[in-house]
Amino acid sequence: MRARQRGSAAVRAAAAGWPGRRRRLADADLSRADRILRTVLLVGTAVPALVLLFITAEMVLSALPALIYAGGDFFTHQLFTFGNLYATGQSVAHGVRAPLGASYGAAPFIIGTIASSAVALVIAVPVSVGAVLALVELVPRPVQPALSVFLELLAGIPSVAYGFWGVLYFGPAMAQHLYPVLTRLGVVLPFMRGPVGAGEGLLTTGFILAVMIIPIIASTTRELVRTVPALAREGALALGMTRYETLRAVTLPYIRSGILAASILGWARAIGETMAVLMISGDLLNTLPANIYSPFSSIAATIVDLLDSALTDPTGMAVHALAAIGVVLLVISLASNLVGRLLIRRVALGALPVGRGI
Amino acid sequence: MIAGVNRFLVPRFPAVNERARTVEAVAAGVSAAGASALARTARAGTGVAVDGLRVRFGAREVVHGVTVGFHAHRVTALIGPTGCGKTTVLRALNRLHDGRPGVHISGSVRIGDEEVYDPRADVRDLRRRIGMLFQRPNPFPLSIRENIALAARIHGLWSRQDAAERTEAILREVGLWEAVRDRLGQAPFLLSGGQQQLLCLARALAVEPDVLLLDEPTSSLDPGTTARIEELISALRDKMTIIIVTHNLQQARRVADEVCLLLDGEVVEQAPADRFFQAPADERSRAYVDGRVG
Amino acid sequence: MRTSLRGARDAIFWTLCAGALLLVVAPALAIIGSLLQQAWPVLTLHLLTTTTAVDGLQNALLGTLVLCVGILVLAGPIGIAAGVYLAEFGPPARSSWLRLGSETLAGIPSIVVGYVAYLVLDEELHWGYSLLAGILALSAIVLPYIVKTTEVALRQVPTTLREGAAALGLPRHTTLRRVLLPPAIPGIASGLVVALAISVGETAPLLYTVGFSDNNPTPYLFQHPLGYLTYVVFLNATLPTRQEHQVAAAAGVMIVLILIVLIAAGRLIARRAARHAARMAN
Repeated sequence: MRARQRGSAAVRAAAAGWPGRRRRLADADLSRADRILRTVLLVGTAVPALVLLFITAEMVLSALPALIYAGGDFFTHQLFTFGNLYATGQSVAHGVRAPLGASYGAAPFIIGTIASSAVALVIAVPVSVGAVLALVELVPRPVQPALSVFLELLAGIPSVAYGFWGVLYFGPAMAQHLYPVLTRLGVVLPFMRGPVGAGEGLLTTGFILAVMIIPIIASTTRELVRTVPALAREGALALGMTRYETLRAVTLPYIRSGILAASILGWARAIGETMAVLMISGDLLNTLPANIYSPFSSIAATIVDLLDSALTDPTGMAVHALAAIGVVLLVISLASNLVGRLLIRRVALGALPVGRGI
Repeated sequence: MIAGVNRFLVPRFPAVNERARTVEAVAAGVSAAGASALARTARAGTGVAVDGLRVRFGAREVVHGVTVGFHAHRVTALIGPTGCGKTTVLRALNRLHDGRPGVHISGSVRIGDEEVYDPRADVRDLRRRIGMLFQRPNPFPLSIRENIALAARIHGLWSRQDAAERTEAILREVGLWEAVRDRLGQAPFLLSGGQQQLLCLARALAVEPDVLLLDEPTSSLDPGTTARIEELISALRDKMTIIIVTHNLQQARRVADEVCLLLDGEVVEQAPADRFFQAPADERSRAYVDGRVG
Repeated sequence: MRTSLRGARDAIFWTLCAGALLLVVAPALAIIGSLLQQAWPVLTLHLLTTTTAVDGLQNALLGTLVLCVGILVLAGPIGIAAGVYLAEFGPPARSSWLRLGSETLAGIPSIVVGYVAYLVLDEELHWGYSLLAGILALSAIVLPYIVKTTEVALRQVPTTLREGAAALGLPRHTTLRRVLLPPAIPGIASGLVVALAISVGETAPLLYTVGFSDNNPTPYLFQHPLGYLTYVVFLNATLPTRQEHQVAAAAGVMIVLILIVLIAAGRLIARRAARHAARMAN
């Protein structure tokens, strides 16, 4: 007991002599070279974060004039035109000048973007989950890596190749064979009624986008399924449950929130997809889609499509207008990414593929 | 403060001085090799004094003011049931908790007359002087030769010219030379677990530590290698202070000169091994030795 | 009766799953098949010896490779540095913010990256259509992947090695270079492979930054446009003649070939990494 008391006195004396001990404890063993290295590495680490901030700030600043000009019409109006770029007069709204007749209503793009990605999600989620379950449960283990290659291929095939295939092969084939059949569902679902068009439109784009985001959802699901403890599954099987019942009772509850997170990330990718949509959407401006087969345009596709002509606007407003729709895309993307990542963090999945399923 | 710690060390552990005297007395009539080994031994040994050590992980304090001394040239066994904080204490001695987030350490650890937690302390040199062997062998993904020479070269103890010679000497010392002499350039992962642990011991010895920390070093090994490592521990005692964490009372009996029992993050009793095992002073020690606790 | 109903439900469900797997495999085969079918008549050495000014792809292929080299030179070191910092040096709180920044960057649509790069680099800084602008835009897109894989690869190196090195008093840069990086290199390399795969397939961030050129790549970073494969696929697919479609498909085939080489490389590297991990775990 006496020794203990003497000891604590020594602690106090020693502690008094260690200024800033807590802060330094972690890096007290760093040599001078270590410190230099750490600083250099920190600079590298700051790059992605700074690029993120820079891009966001640049987009928002660039978008502001057009957003002010359009005001609330931005979200509700259907007409998106840069106006008469060669006219001498100007339109003025909310104190901002734009070429005569300019109107920046983004409703068709926003709706087109959300609708096409929603169609993609409705198709991709069940297919991805089903395919992964088949891959893990039905396919013999030695063959699994060979089939997994297809996921990597789908993730790696460039979006222009999807566009090429969609516009020359898949779209026409669907319009000819599948879509006329689907119109019969129009009795129940009005948006499924014809006409079906030539195969460039919402549904075709949705199919292609689905294929593009399958790798994200599927590869995440595959990792999730691997985290399900074998003991729990074997326990259920030992109780005489069928494999389907085991899945419902054990596996699915385990991976459900992870699938939700992966779906959100997949959706975020679908709304940002540019080239394939540009090639397959039918590229229709200023009109809301009449049915699920209608041509449309998305935000990303429109930016690529119109940036060329926007550059000829002497007032610069056209470029601002494209930035404005870009900001909508950016906000939706970042928000869904954050939500998805927070969800994933909750289910504690360390090695989530960043953004795509490679 | 230095004087204070010495005062604290000396009266409680008179054995240090006794041993040094014995060594001087015999030093006269031995062989040349023996003489040099004894000369090293005769050098004032480096004891370790822990004073009021507290370790907290976040809000949970696991070591509650441990005060204990470890003699130079003696083997002290830190024993106690799982979770009593013995490994935590051991890892505090060479500041291995430092990088871990949420760790808070207070109290004093002295090696010789140097404060380990002094902010001006050269942590890397401290760690060089405090060797450590872990529960499981952790050889580096380098060749066997580089595993041993890397740290010794970095610390400037070995030169390019004498590295080969000294590698051989140290491998001979731990009894691994014959097994690895033909594959010094290969990765160590093909060695058996026991051989890997001996390699790690050789690696630690190469940087000439004054203190050797052993964290259940034989818990994953076969009986043969365990015996070999215990032999080495006994032999190394002449060169350094040895602290071994073990949950194996038989092992403590075999190798330790001194035993320190920890329960729930507090020292229950520290005593010479014979006395501790034959007539423990504390009722809880008696219960632990008899197998009634832990 | 009940058992047979349960059995039937089981059978139906797994049949649907197998169908879903088919829906994953079929499009990949269909796309590659249609590319090959279209490209078949023009898949000759002629593609490699003439440029898009005639009816070859030499300039586009070389341009794509130049972009890849640019990515390796610029995004590679920065991404690896960031990954090493996050795994080995960063205090937890700061690291988690920086990590979030990097992961969120991966969520920015590539067209937005391309748009900003065009406005700032090509226009405001007057670089014109330039190789460097393209490399910067692509780097912003692939950086997060390199950061992530580097960090994960380092985290998979057992902590006991770090402790062993620390207990010997090794400086951290030595520990990193000699002890931690060698086992992590396969993981880091596979991250670079992914970065290359993405770069080879991107179009949107390049359209307005590097433009397009029918000539072979020049050694200039600024003011000179550059040809690349994905643009040919995009442009020629929208042109009317069969001949043009064939060249588009041929460019697509080239991209897929590069992709297959990259995937194979990734697998080889991953296998090596797995072997290494198994040895380390002993």
